[in-house]
Amino acid sequence: MRRVAMIGAGMTDFGELFELGIKDIVPMAVTEAVNSVDKGFDRNDIQAAWFGELVATDGFATGILADSCGLLDIPVSRLENACATGNDAVRHGAMAIASGMYDVVLVVGADKVRETSSRSTFWDWMGMTRDAAWDFPLGLVAPANFALHAARYLHESPVATREHLAMVAVKNHHHGVTNPKAQMRFEITMEQVLNAPMVVEPFGLYDCTPQSDGGAAVILVAEELADRYTDSPVWVRGTGIGLDRVMHQHKRDMTTFPPTVKAAKQAYAMAGIGPGDVDVAEVHDCFTGVELINYEDLGFCDKWGAAKMIENRETYVGGRIPINPSGGLKAKGHPPGATGVAQCFEIWEQLRGQSTNQVDGARLGLAHNVGGPTAVSAITILGIDKD
Amino acid sequence: MIARMISISRIGTALPPWGNEGARTVGDDEDAVTLAVAAGLAALGDTDPSIIGDVVFVSRDFPLLEGGNGAALLAGLGCDDGVRIREIIGGSPAVLDAIAHATDGTLVIGSDAAGSAGASAVLCGRSGATVELAGRVTRSMPVTTRDARGNSSDYADPRLLRERGVNESLARLGDPRPIAAAGLSAREAGSVCDGNTPKLVTTGASAIGFALAALVEQGASGTVLAVEKATLVVARLGEGNVLVTRDEPPARPRPGGQLAPGASVSISLSAYERAFDAKLRLAAAECADCGELSYPPRHRCIECGSEQPTTLVPLPRRGEAYSVATIRVPVPGLISPYTVVIVELGDTGVRTLVRLTGATPGSVAIGDTGRLVFRLVAVRQGVPDYGYGFLPDSAQAEQKGAA
Repeated sequence: MRRVAMIGAGMTDFGELFELGIKDIVPMAVTEAVNSVDKGFDRNDIQAAWFGELVATDGFATGILADSCGLLDIPVSRLENACATGNDAVRHGAMAIASGMYDVVLVVGADKVRETSSRSTFWDWMGMTRDAAWDFPLGLVAPANFALHAARYLHESPVATREHLAMVAVKNHHHGVTNPKAQMRFEITMEQVLNAPMVVEPFGLYDCTPQSDGGAAVILVAEELADRYTDSPVWVRGTGIGLDRVMHQHKRDMTTFPPTVKAAKQAYAMAGIGPGDVDVAEVHDCFTGVELINYEDLGFCDKWGAAKMIENRETYVGGRIPINPSGGLKAKGHPPGATGVAQCFEIWEQLRGQSTNQVDGARLGLAHNVGGPTAVSAITILGIDKD
Repeated sequence: MIARMISISRIGTALPPWGNEGARTVGDDEDAVTLAVAAGLAALGDTDPSIIGDVVFVSRDFPLLEGGNGAALLAGLGCDDGVRIREIIGGSPAVLDAIAHATDGTLVIGSDAAGSAGASAVLCGRSGATVELAGRVTRSMPVTTRDARGNSSDYADPRLLRERGVNESLARLGDPRPIAAAGLSAREAGSVCDGNTPKLVTTGASAIGFALAALVEQGASGTVLAVEKATLVVARLGEGNVLVTRDEPPARPRPGGQLAPGASVSISLSAYERAFDAKLRLAAAECADCGELSYPPRHRCIECGSEQPTTLVPLPRRGEAYSVATIRVPVPGLISPYTVVIVELGDTGVRTLVRLTGATPGSVAIGDTGRLVFRLVAVRQGVPDYGYGFLPDSAQAEQKGAA
């Protein structure tokens, strides 16, 4: 397999971008990525593109990318893998280069969640992830989907409480303040989180990601071409995708996300590293409790160790392993198709020493999604070192 | 008039927990079918549903006039889908008539979802107490009406109804003095009956079953009257052993909740049809090779990967909450708050994801035990989507505490 270099990355602001459609967001993200290339980049060099989008808005996804970005003469494919769409799109781009099929690939992720009313999103997403006859009519909205895990996790954990969930929200809001792209750039207190209106127990309003629009793009090239574009490429060191039973009824242990464990195993093995080698991570914190479970599933601590990690501020920037320095989904926002690609954008900046919330000396970073009916996870490991 | 002799051996009654001791109201997940299932299962007790050869379902509150309630009722009762079922639009006179004309193995159910809600089911056969038709008169006194479109009117003249309706019809039947009257208010019943007539919680199709239940519990026998406006049926209840089982939780106020505006929950009727038997009969697919239970049924065994044809087997109905989530935000087309529960069924290892029922949303915790009961999960594009809800044992305690 050929090595894959990330030589450019960009993202739009995340937020309720009512004034922008998907046909605006996609070219904006792509142009940011093109402009980020150190030695300049001609978009005509792009040989193929992958577009990660969860819900199509304004119609035909691949055509929109080709048309709105002036890329009418290359193959474009759409990829949808629930909330793991973004990191899976990156994986597909990396595979295309590693295989030798293409030398320069564009990966875009974008979604326009707020193209429908804030409430109807519940049903839009349920239709994609729920069994039509069995689960759909129950009203198992996205927060409930994860709350069933978090409730069981809190029940079984000898240490974790709702306060530990709140600590995650406080941290990620704190991290988001310095991120100019983030949707929610304000600090919150433990009291605010714990006293906020309840959404789905145990998640209050501040335990939940906002609804967001946005896009992100990365440019991947073969190792031989990297020098042409930059002297400081970021290397795609490992990728992984894990799956699980799709119905909650069939998940034997809901205190963990087995897809994450499986995806991490693949990605660590491919990168030849272990969880202890990761300097910075962007993990899927659509709901606070999910971030805690991720710590354990990704191997950053032992089972039930997550509560102490957040309590001891080990996952703050400056801590043992900073998690979500961008603010995470919680504060940065969560346009599902864009989320994983935007995580890679953040890690790309971190590894190049360019982040507004820089982790000192970061050489290895990990991006992680978990989603769908908690049945899929995608992980990308990026490094400043080739091997 | 031909009078035939049939006996009744079992009576089941069911009331929603919501309302007060005088009148119950259905919850959002109940209708005439779910109440009928509850009453029918109460009547059956541990008896194998295969003894039922004929079902008569009487109501004026059928959820569907077209599309069908019968298959859901049979599935909920655990009856074979080859069992004869008739839906009769009517009140207590129709029920009493059906009982008097029943054959061995007929289950006659009266169910009321509008107004004062409840259901009763009477199992007819060769043993028990005899019920013999004594008279019938069908007359018109439409002081209240409801048409096919649901438009209703009220002439508002109770004295006219009593004097030219009920009393005139009684006179035409030779002024019988019944020991119980179903379909009248307690005061009206008292005025037409001899002795201590049982006080009934419903006045529609289910009322006669409640009356018969009360009479056999008292060991009483004699003339019983079923009334619907000016239409009357009179029968004689004999002596004999009748087992009465009441699924009647004490009444308490229905929990509040707010319906968020929005489109109704969409449905795939092909998915509905594929799931129907397993979902409404609470039955899992048993693997022919390894015996593993898959719920919902699936093409490939969840345990061993066998793709051999499977057999549907009933699942245990008692279980324990494995995880719980209470949705408090508004969700379009739904009433919030509501609680979803993953229930582990008996010692099968099978889990199911259902709504909490019969209890205040949020009032169930992981580890709580309870049973699965037949409920209306949603109405989807006009189609009642039936399944099961988790009724926690703690709801019974809550009810006792409130009573």
